[in-house]
Amino acid sequence: MIQTSNGISEEQLIENAINGDRASLAQLVKNYEQTVYNFSFKICRNKERAEHTMQETFLSMVKSLKQFSGNSKLSTWLYTIVSNHCLMLARSQKKYDYVNLENDEGLIDDKNVVDWKYSPEKLAENSELKNLLDEAIEKLPHDYRVVFLLRDVEGLSTNETAEIVNLSVPAIKSRLHRARAFLRNELDKKLHV
Amino acid sequence: MKKENVSCKDVMSHICDSLGEDLNSPKCINIKDHLENCPNCQKYFDSVDSTIKFYKKYNVELDNDGHERLLSVLGLKDE
Repeated sequence: MIQTSNGISEEQLIENAINGDRASLAQLVKNYEQTVYNFSFKICRNKERAEHTMQETFLSMVKSLKQFSGNSKLSTWLYTIVSNHCLMLARSQKKYDYVNLENDEGLIDDKNVVDWKYSPEKLAENSELKNLLDEAIEKLPHDYRVVFLLRDVEGLSTNETAEIVNLSVPAIKSRLHRARAFLRNELDKKLHV
Repeated sequence: MKKENVSCKDVMSHICDSLGEDLNSPKCINIKDHLENCPNCQKYFDSVDSTIKFYKKYNVELDNDGHERLLSVLGLKDE
């Protein structure tokens, strides 16, 4: 069971919030606002849209908290709401210039593998590098992007990721494989020595 | 155990499949053997690993104004 900083379990906070305790609701929001904002940014790659998504996610949480069964973790539930909201946002913008990854032939080239000129430790001081990361991941179709972010970046299990995006475990593995290879190739174009 | 020959392409594909997974199956042991002795595949492994680390390290902080706007939207400003 998850214990919050003030010693009250998350389960208790949820129950209190459902029964109208606004302080418990505010505590739940505070516990998850940074995670939800950061994950929203990682999908949207835009701070304004991330903030909007975070607000919509918590509005959904407040509205539907009574329906939260407790069978899954609240964090898993919030990741699901963020993913669905970002998908709707992407569809409404009608921006469909994603790369096609249905066929993974050619994604792996075993020749000419070279070292990269930057290590991940250099990221904080390099805005050009951040732009490169944004541009690369924005080419990934939504479901590939979300799978990569949930599994590799947020560190969720394959089963949790499958539950959130409503795909089978083999489908998650296939998308993860292709997303990793694609992103690696995109970065390689600019980072090779 | 019979050693199975694996190509660089097999190894690179396996890296994309299984990074972060439990690598104790016989096939994985062959892959690890290959990886330890192939500089090309080691570079590929490092680049996939770095790709994940780059995205892990790229985080944004919600500032106090954003926090206040959120509480306001939710009608929880006084809590």
